[in-house]
Amino acid sequence: MPEKKFKYVSQEWADEVAKRCKKSLTPEKLKKLTSSLLTVYTKCPGGKTRAIFYKLNNGVVESVSAIEGTLPKAEFTVTADYDLFAKISRCEMKARAALMSGKMTLRGNLVKALTLSPIMDRLNEIIATIPTEF
Amino acid sequence: MPKKILAKDDPYFIDNPKSVKAVQKEMAKHGIDVYLGSRLRTMSWILDAFCPWRTYVVIPPEGLPTAVTFVIDAARVADESWLDEDHIIGYGPMGGQDQVSVLSMLMKPYLKGGKGVIGMETGMGNYLPEGHLTLFEFVMLKAAMPKATFKNAHDIIDRLSLIKDEGTINRFREASRIVDVGHREVLAAIKNGGFQKMTETEIAGLAAYAMRKAGSEWEWSFTGGNEIASGYRSGLAAGACTPASRRKLKAGDPLMVDLHAMFKLGLGDHSHNYFLGKATKRQLWHAKNFVDLMKQVLSTYRAGITPTGLADEMLAFAEERGFQDYLVPGFEHGIGMMGDEWRIGLNNGPFQYWTNPEHVYKKNEMLICAVQYACPEEDIGFRYENPILIKEKNCEAMSRFPLSVNIV
Repeated sequence: MPEKKFKYVSQEWADEVAKRCKKSLTPEKLKKLTSSLLTVYTKCPGGKTRAIFYKLNNGVVESVSAIEGTLPKAEFTVTADYDLFAKISRCEMKARAALMSGKMTLRGNLVKALTLSPIMDRLNEIIATIPTEF
Repeated sequence: MPKKILAKDDPYFIDNPKSVKAVQKEMAKHGIDVYLGSRLRTMSWILDAFCPWRTYVVIPPEGLPTAVTFVIDAARVADESWLDEDHIIGYGPMGGQDQVSVLSMLMKPYLKGGKGVIGMETGMGNYLPEGHLTLFEFVMLKAAMPKATFKNAHDIIDRLSLIKDEGTINRFREASRIVDVGHREVLAAIKNGGFQKMTETEIAGLAAYAMRKAGSEWEWSFTGGNEIASGYRSGLAAGACTPASRRKLKAGDPLMVDLHAMFKLGLGDHSHNYFLGKATKRQLWHAKNFVDLMKQVLSTYRAGITPTGLADEMLAFAEERGFQDYLVPGFEHGIGMMGDEWRIGLNNGPFQYWTNPEHVYKKNEMLICAVQYACPEEDIGFRYENPILIKEKNCEAMSRFPLSVNIV
């Protein structure tokens, strides 16, 4: 039976991200962080902008939601083209390198963001394990 | 470096929130929607923290300001400033986190429809770390906020920071006490022939060590920390900047020791002069001129006088005594919290960004009484510097190391 693939940046994909994060990331690995992160995907297939909203509470990934339309406020907002995010999600590029190239932008406190950089790497490593249809 | 001082009964307490509110009141009066500070003096005065990296402060029309500094130093600045970590943020070479992106993100909410007036700090200065907004920064910010109007507004901070509050004055007093510790250490080291085989850099270093032990945070001057000049270097023509060199001290040399200490951004700056081992009659004549002049200068400072009035009086005294040729014709420079040096008062003199010679001193202004006596043809010179507090009828000289030219 062929492996099920999740459509990138869909709610189904977001649910799978949440499921795998809860399974693999302990509160300690997430530094008992309470925060929110919005990843904004511009130039998605069809020309739309879509987003994924991550809510973390005391080191637990509480929810991962696919958003279209009005974007919620988050402590950190990361914005980039769909294709760039796809590269990061396939582990072809590191988020840090994308940020430093200027092709990805971050809004939020940089000092805090830098301390959370290893968490983002862990999150992206988990995302990379999800069979995804880009 | 300074730590947060939040207790109002602390002798070094400065009411920074009050200063911010005063700036905001002036912004409203001058039609400024948001103020962008970039000068080192502005950072010290608003944040009460030392900002050695390029730093900006965005002051909204009301509420707390936000400082933006190089990300590697943001946590330390937040640890020391009265502002919390949400109001001291970092910039760095990342998308959305470069200086222009962060600053425009902070300022745009105060520009209705992108329009509005941004107060900025530009100008020129002889003081290298002044921190005026650069042309490139201006061009980039203007491109990010094309409908905004930029207005030079540093006068607001300059005016408000001119008269010193008690906490600031006490910090200067403590920095001066520390400088005196450094002078005592130098005297102990060089007396009775101790100067032999020593170099200027050693003198600078041993003073620095003594002052650090006494609590100094930094030999703050950008002129090379503690300035030491021996022999011909003490009398360089019109010279008043002598970073310590590797020159060995020699008997018969004049030695000028100009020490700098910093205490919670308050600055100590005092010079003392010596003859090493011996002095000729002619050298002693120069020394007497200098000491007598300094007594005159210090007894003349008070509220109501002007730099030019004082200079006229002192140059007349020098002429009468026959040493006017050796006097660099300036008797002071401005001073404030770290980053505020050289110009006295406001930028309202005949030469842009220089002291207005007609500036009328007011009670609780501070300046560095600074006199350079230089006779290059005889390889001799002396320097006097001391932070002074202007009072109604006299002045308070903060360093108390006795005024003299000692033979050691």
